[in-house]
Amino acid sequence: MIHEEFVFISSGYLPQCEGIAPPKNIYSHISGIDLVLGKDGEWYILEDNLRIPSGASYPMIAREICRRVSPATFGNNSVVDNRNYAAMLKETMDWVNTGGIPVIMTPGRYNAAYFEHSYLAERTGSELATCTDLFVEDNYLYYRDYRGRKQKVGVIYRRISDDYLDPMTFLPESLIGIPNIMDVYRSGNVAIVNAPGNGVADDKGIYYFVPKMIRYYLGQEAILKNAPTYLPFYEEDRKYVLDHLEKLVIKGVAEAGGYGVIFGNELSRERLAQMKKVIEKESRRFIAQEVIDFQDMEVMDGDEKVLRKADLRAFVLSGEKTRVWPGGLTRFSRNADSFVVNSSQGGGFKDTWVLSQWKK
Amino acid sequence: MGVISMEKVDHLYWLGRYTERVYTTLRVFFHIYDRIIEQPEGMYSKYCEKLDIPDIYTSNRQFVQSYLFGEYNPDSVYSNMKRAYDNAVVLRDELSTTVLSYVQLALDTFDSCGKTTAPLLELQQVIDHLLAFWGGADDYVEQEDCRNILKCGKYVERLDLCIRLDYHGKDLEKEYRKLCNRLGKTGLSYSEKNLERIGEIILKEEDPKRCYREALGCLGGLLI
Repeated sequence: MIHEEFVFISSGYLPQCEGIAPPKNIYSHISGIDLVLGKDGEWYILEDNLRIPSGASYPMIAREICRRVSPATFGNNSVVDNRNYAAMLKETMDWVNTGGIPVIMTPGRYNAAYFEHSYLAERTGSELATCTDLFVEDNYLYYRDYRGRKQKVGVIYRRISDDYLDPMTFLPESLIGIPNIMDVYRSGNVAIVNAPGNGVADDKGIYYFVPKMIRYYLGQEAILKNAPTYLPFYEEDRKYVLDHLEKLVIKGVAEAGGYGVIFGNELSRERLAQMKKVIEKESRRFIAQEVIDFQDMEVMDGDEKVLRKADLRAFVLSGEKTRVWPGGLTRFSRNADSFVVNSSQGGGFKDTWVLSQWKK
Repeated sequence: MGVISMEKVDHLYWLGRYTERVYTTLRVFFHIYDRIIEQPEGMYSKYCEKLDIPDIYTSNRQFVQSYLFGEYNPDSVYSNMKRAYDNAVVLRDELSTTVLSYVQLALDTFDSCGKTTAPLLELQQVIDHLLAFWGGADDYVEQEDCRNILKCGKYVERLDLCIRLDYHGKDLEKEYRKLCNRLGKTGLSYSEKNLERIGEIILKEEDPKRCYREALGCLGGLLI
């Protein structure tokens, strides 16, 4: 279904993770699936985030505040109560815990998502730790307390990327990792959430194959559609992409946070020609998608109500069962003409209300 | 969870110290401010000397502005409030969002006070938020170790300020006993010799003020 070569040359493919079976065989404990609602009324999946998708805490805190500010809104509308994300996350972590305390690992307070790290630690009852609090001894991971005692760690929800996780295995210059944690993980003595090496599945090139995987493994058609996607890696697709570049959106397969996204219709003739050359030369680096004209959403810009592009990040948690959190992070663009909704590029966010079938 | 890292102990201790510093210096400042209204220029010099902070002020008015709200004055009460916040923000999982929010409220209120002509009224709200923070810490913080370390920082700072500001002997005794009681529960390493000497100065010396400098030195080197 997927050429071996296509997997092995993925920049997200980490040979160091080859042969490791994570506890309970779960790789993607927390998946962030980005969806958009097209003007045709159809929901499309834009991408699957399977490394360390962030953002669940923002609608959590927004919901808490909105319920205080406007209780009538929730009294008069049947909004599904979704204040159980922390409980779901805790259950997911507990399910794979190998016997020890749960820890959320943060790079530190200056990380853009530090609020989320600390909020989720509070709400799940996990210890919030930096690399200085954690160490490996006799092939187990420990948390060191101020009395000099050590507590075994059974599950670590790390909020740093694979490359920085273990300087003995990945980037040796990493100062925010834990030396030898990969040995502990390989021995099954700690669960890492999400599993290192997920970048290969997170690769936007692999996304192309997901409907085929569903068909192959489950014998079903995918309920949610992918955005029409082309892989320049394959000759037929490459030809189409090069012929229609000006109406497509090009994405770097290993990029995240809205980076590496290029809209063909925004490129000058000269840049289009350059882009075509790059695609021909490094075809595995990109995917191309039809631009989905997704529905605008009303947002407040100061005191003014305006229409902006928005997407929805749904959170899927896999523990004993796989469950979708009834809500999610709605992200919108601040600029009228932009499709880029990522917070790292100035995008805003809203809580997401799932309206119950039950009417009051 | 019952485990606290060394780094968090440090933050808890200093959160206790800085919140107490803001709380007590604001309360003391209320009296100073009242006197400044009628008194001649320069009466703040003595206060600076007692607190061991440089007298960089040029007038009563400038003292009020800079000592209270000076963003770039490292000795200002506002700077201490910011330090309290910096320590609190990394302790959400230990303190809870509810308790942390009172420190945030105190800082935000402090920010807005600097823009008014009669700041004391709003500074009272800063004090109120800090009191709510301490009440919240007692009520919400589950871990006893956390509360003990936080309060240990508070009592070290309280005693330090009471000594510097010439509080009555009875007050010093009360604060000293609170510190002794709390320190033993923290599990932190401390110098028993220093603690004893502070006690001797406060409880036994006929003229304790003569030894205040020594007491402050012992207090500064209390934790090992």
